[in-house]
Amino acid sequence: MSAPSDPSPAWAEADRLAALRAFDVLDTEREPAFDGIVTLIARVFDAPIAVVNLIDEERQWFKAEVGLGVRETPLATSFCAHALLEQDRMIVPDATADERFACNPLVTGESGLRFYAGQLLKSAEGLPIGTLCVLDTRVRHEGPTALQLEALEVLAAQVMAQLELRRALRQRQQSESQFQAVADSMPQMVWSTLPDGFHDYYNARWYEFTGVPEGSTDGEGWNDIFHPDDQERAWTRWRQSLTTGEPYEIEYRLRHRSGVYRWTLGRAMPIRDESGEIVRWFGTCTDIDDLKRMEQSKELLSQELSHRIKNIFAVVSALIALSARRFPEAKAFATALRTRINALARAHEFVRPHTETSRPTVGTMTLHAFLADLFKAYAGSDEAARVLLSGDDATFDDQAATSVALLFHELATNAAKYGALSVEGGHVELETRNEGARFILTWREHGGPPVAGPPKHSGFGSSLATLSVEGQLGGRLDRDWAADGLCVVADLPATALSRRRAALDVR
Amino acid sequence: MYANLFVKVRVPHCLMTARILIIEDEALVAMELRYVLEDLGHEVVGMASDARTARHLVRETEVDLALVDIHLSDGPTGVELGRELGQDLGVSVLFMTANPGMVRNGVAGTIGVLSKPTDERAVQTAVDYALRRRTGQLIEYAPPGLQLFG
Repeated sequence: MSAPSDPSPAWAEADRLAALRAFDVLDTEREPAFDGIVTLIARVFDAPIAVVNLIDEERQWFKAEVGLGVRETPLATSFCAHALLEQDRMIVPDATADERFACNPLVTGESGLRFYAGQLLKSAEGLPIGTLCVLDTRVRHEGPTALQLEALEVLAAQVMAQLELRRALRQRQQSESQFQAVADSMPQMVWSTLPDGFHDYYNARWYEFTGVPEGSTDGEGWNDIFHPDDQERAWTRWRQSLTTGEPYEIEYRLRHRSGVYRWTLGRAMPIRDESGEIVRWFGTCTDIDDLKRMEQSKELLSQELSHRIKNIFAVVSALIALSARRFPEAKAFATALRTRINALARAHEFVRPHTETSRPTVGTMTLHAFLADLFKAYAGSDEAARVLLSGDDATFDDQAATSVALLFHELATNAAKYGALSVEGGHVELETRNEGARFILTWREHGGPPVAGPPKHSGFGSSLATLSVEGQLGGRLDRDWAADGLCVVADLPATALSRRRAALDVR
Repeated sequence: MYANLFVKVRVPHCLMTARILIIEDEALVAMELRYVLEDLGHEVVGMASDARTARHLVRETEVDLALVDIHLSDGPTGVELGRELGQDLGVSVLFMTANPGMVRNGVAGTIGVLSKPTDERAVQTAVDYALRRRTGQLIEYAPPGLQLFG
């Protein structure tokens, strides 16, 4: 092979050097894997010299060599520097006959080199970083055999494979130690398992929290650190995630090194490969004990407060009855006031913060459930409801509760005094309709005494109903004194029943 | 207005008088309850604001019916007290509480729970119901406002 007349490379020298240095191999120790390759290729060629030669900026450095006895030489006398300009390899049968090397001191001098065969070592991007080459002092006009060329090509590829492998291993070690550093500096406990759930990694925080010896919670040992009452639940939940691949999330008590169990939030996510197979689970445990305690005491406080409020209603109610006892003329007034207070107390029961044990014993905490409860006192002798509820149900909050309770308490007591509920067989239809922006409640009395028209003057109960709807709830209250029964329509903005939630929704 | 309602509901007039114990830590509520019961012709044999006093009174006196609040001056001792009176001491027990959720699952040996604040009519019908059950009389229906156990 002869040299190209205009050898200008397709790559920039800076890129080539960067590619070489990325392998981080220059000036490293000899390694048997490379030594074996040069020994073998020298024998295949029956030549005295073979080298894994890396072309640095101003020198060539030998990762492995036989027959030279040095690890580097200056670039000026390099055969390989010329080889880099070739496509794949360079063969020089007789250096004295090649103008590139005829004056090279290695040819003219004591070494007396004549034959050269070098295969390029190329990075994945195609940049030549050096050669695997063979040198001889004997002229070989016949050139290398096909087998020798094949061996040179295959072994050069093996050199690159070795270099790539070392680089990949180093990167992995690096990212592992980075992960280790991140995981150990996190405030959470971090762990990892094989796809079958076998725990094989915990960060420093885990050992710091639990105080168990390193490695003692590998496999399934972790379950022993859980509170006995939580072990089965955690196992079930974890097995479910392992089976389905669903993210794992659970709260349980974890034994601290002090022996005290602390509430902990456990979470884990599966890591999947390109085909979607789970290859690993990564999880964290977060100590939420302080938060949990704060929540519990807050809950307790609001329960206690709510309980006190409910009790105060009972005391006020009793106080009214006791005060009126000495004055028979005040009895009607006291009873009216007392039933209003009792209606408020019922409404409070429906909107106060509840836990599983304090929840009202009847139905859910919706408008219909509350109204059904309020109207229970007006049921017929056979316990059948006389106020029939229909339409859309809604939730309501403590701000609306007072007004809703007073409105329907007044309508019902009025009906019991003068309207449909004052006679056997009369009843009321109460329809609640959600019309998007408006919430409309229609109270229609049937089967009562004939209605003569609007009363001459409206009583306090009537004012209270109007005040509740128009003053408090921001709606409109219309009364139609139809001959066959009073019809009252309360037209409310849809947000009136649950203002706090409406405000949240807007956000 | 309740008088109105009252006539229409077929509640039989209280034919029997009973010896009733009030267990309630709010003095005003207890006092009002006492007046209501006495107006109805019952004998209030005692008022206790804690479980110890209540047990003492039951040992000293014959009691047909106890109206038991859950939160007493010595804590939420009403539930256990009610169970003991009903199951072991042969007293009919009605709970009266502002927080009926506390006994949502029922209490063995007791009749039911009345939610406070309440009114005279609800007290009367509930007490009447309890006494009828005690004497094995025919009961047409459970009074409104009284949540029965079991």
